[in-house]
Amino acid sequence: MLRHLFKLIWNRKRNNLLLVSEIFFSFVVLFAVGTMLITFGTNFLAPHGFDYQQVWRLEIRAGQNETMPRTELDEVLRQVQALPGVRQVALASDNMPFIFRTNTSAFSYQGRKSEQSNIYDTDDHYAQVMGLQLREGRWFAKADDGSHHRPVVISQDLRQTLFGNEPALGKIFSWAEPGPDIKPEDQFQVTGVVDNVRMENDFGPAVPSMWIRLLPFDSTRWETANVVVRVAPGSGGELQEKIARTVAGVTRQWTTMVRVVDEDRLHKRRYTIVPVAGLALVSLFLIVNVALGLFGVLWYNISQRRAEIGLRRAMGATGSAISRQFLGEMLVVSTLGVVLGCLLAVQFPLLGVFDLPPKFYLAGIAVAGVAVYLITALCAFYPSRLAAGIHPAVALREE
Amino acid sequence: MENILAPAETRPAAPRLPAGPPVLQLRNIEKVYQTKTIETVALHQVNLTIGKGEFVSIMGPSGCGKSTLLSIMGLLDEPTSGEIELDGRPVQSYSDRELAALRNQKIGFVFQSYHLINDLSVLDNVELPLLYRPGVGGKERRERAYAALDKVGLSPRTSHFPGQLSGGQRQRVAIARALAGRPEIILADEPTGNLDSVMGEEILDLLLHLNREGTTIVMVTHDEQQALKTQRLIRFFDGSQVS
Repeated sequence: MLRHLFKLIWNRKRNNLLLVSEIFFSFVVLFAVGTMLITFGTNFLAPHGFDYQQVWRLEIRAGQNETMPRTELDEVLRQVQALPGVRQVALASDNMPFIFRTNTSAFSYQGRKSEQSNIYDTDDHYAQVMGLQLREGRWFAKADDGSHHRPVVISQDLRQTLFGNEPALGKIFSWAEPGPDIKPEDQFQVTGVVDNVRMENDFGPAVPSMWIRLLPFDSTRWETANVVVRVAPGSGGELQEKIARTVAGVTRQWTTMVRVVDEDRLHKRRYTIVPVAGLALVSLFLIVNVALGLFGVLWYNISQRRAEIGLRRAMGATGSAISRQFLGEMLVVSTLGVVLGCLLAVQFPLLGVFDLPPKFYLAGIAVAGVAVYLITALCAFYPSRLAAGIHPAVALREE
Repeated sequence: MENILAPAETRPAAPRLPAGPPVLQLRNIEKVYQTKTIETVALHQVNLTIGKGEFVSIMGPSGCGKSTLLSIMGLLDEPTSGEIELDGRPVQSYSDRELAALRNQKIGFVFQSYHLINDLSVLDNVELPLLYRPGVGGKERRERAYAALDKVGLSPRTSHFPGQLSGGQRQRVAIARALAGRPEIILADEPTGNLDSVMGEEILDLLLHLNREGTTIVMVTHDEQQALKTQRLIRFFDGSQVS
């Protein structure tokens, strides 16, 4: 019977072409949306690699055309640190977690190149504030004051790319394109390795990251200082006001903005989720359209083939055999569309498009395949039942 | 394999052989089509016995119930009341599955408008009844279909599609399809109705030959000349048998 179905479908290839292409495009859309949702979902469930709860960020501005001497900044940090409810304070660069600022570059070590990695400038207390989990070595500290190279801590994924299974601690690496004269400050010495981190948004993957030590007693005069503060659980507006007053108490012209990192996270999540939800909604409408189209085509098909149904009944087909035939035809046509879709979809992992792990693409293919079969089976079910119920004598008389 | 399409001048009439044991019996068959406002009696108190090996033709004006009768004989339709026996077995209580199996094994159909599936080749069309017969494999199906096509003189056309054949050839394909299932009885509903006289005669010759080989045939026709060549002529008028 399967051979008979293939013959029928092949001989009706012109009629079926539209149906196959409709299923092919549905598969592609489902594959794209499925892969994206699976990727986002998997990332969402993965650990962030740091603790963003009870962490605030301060943006301290020196005022228009003003800069802040490091000594005064250190005094501010000391006074904030001394406030009740403040657990730890750290100075950092402005590319804080969950905000729209990034600083990236690629690195190399003995011919091995990393992908674009996040670079964070931080002081010795940053790991404590952010709850970064050390896997190897230590966070940079006073002991690194005399270091000839820039002490850095790297994430596990960057470590794997640059050093593979070799030891990483103490190794020195540089930018991917360091230029002819490599200065000591362009050479980074690994003091520690931390867990992978996802600092961009809840749905993003872990991005290779490097933390460079901000030199203490740096004489650079800053316009804006970014500070992260770990506070005691339950701290709120009162402490925020105290921090702002403390900063203003040290330097009358400096202003402070206090933000909760967890709120930044939720804010960024909204920005990320809206286009995804929009795309998912558009896909849903598309799929409903396709389903209605399939339903209509099948219904039309059956009304056009009433005489054939009557004939098959006369030749000995039962109602359920007719129903099975129509379902079977639909599933064979779906299979053709799905196979074509798979041929396109497998190019993504093979060519490494979008740098996603192949498992996400394969899961996307599986989800799209199952969804297409479900949709076609559901759409074919009722028309097939109708076909089964056609009275043979009436159908034969109609032609 | 013998080509049974004899030249016109050698056409024999069906021999008036004594009818064999009943293969199909209809008793007190009534068929009423009921709508909300109208009740139409299509068949009224039909009693008919078809003997094994008989060639019976049914005549009557349009709308007198001939095709309805043929549908009931072919188990495609149910009578409103009355009894049908096929090979001595009453079939009223049979399920859809059992009726389908009976149609498949015992009955072959030939229709006025051929009812071939245009998207299947001649060979595939002829194989169709065997597709629904359990235990018949692909090889056997093919062999039986070839044999049936050979019998109706269409061996060279097996890979053609119905659209590439003349009306007479299409009807021969339909007859080959009925033969492929090796049925006990062939029900032909105006098999020459869409054909010119030469083609019509050719088809009738084919049916007469099959009958001589032992196949029971019931044919609905409007052509008195053709009907007279069969063993028995039954006339219908307004749903009742009049002779």
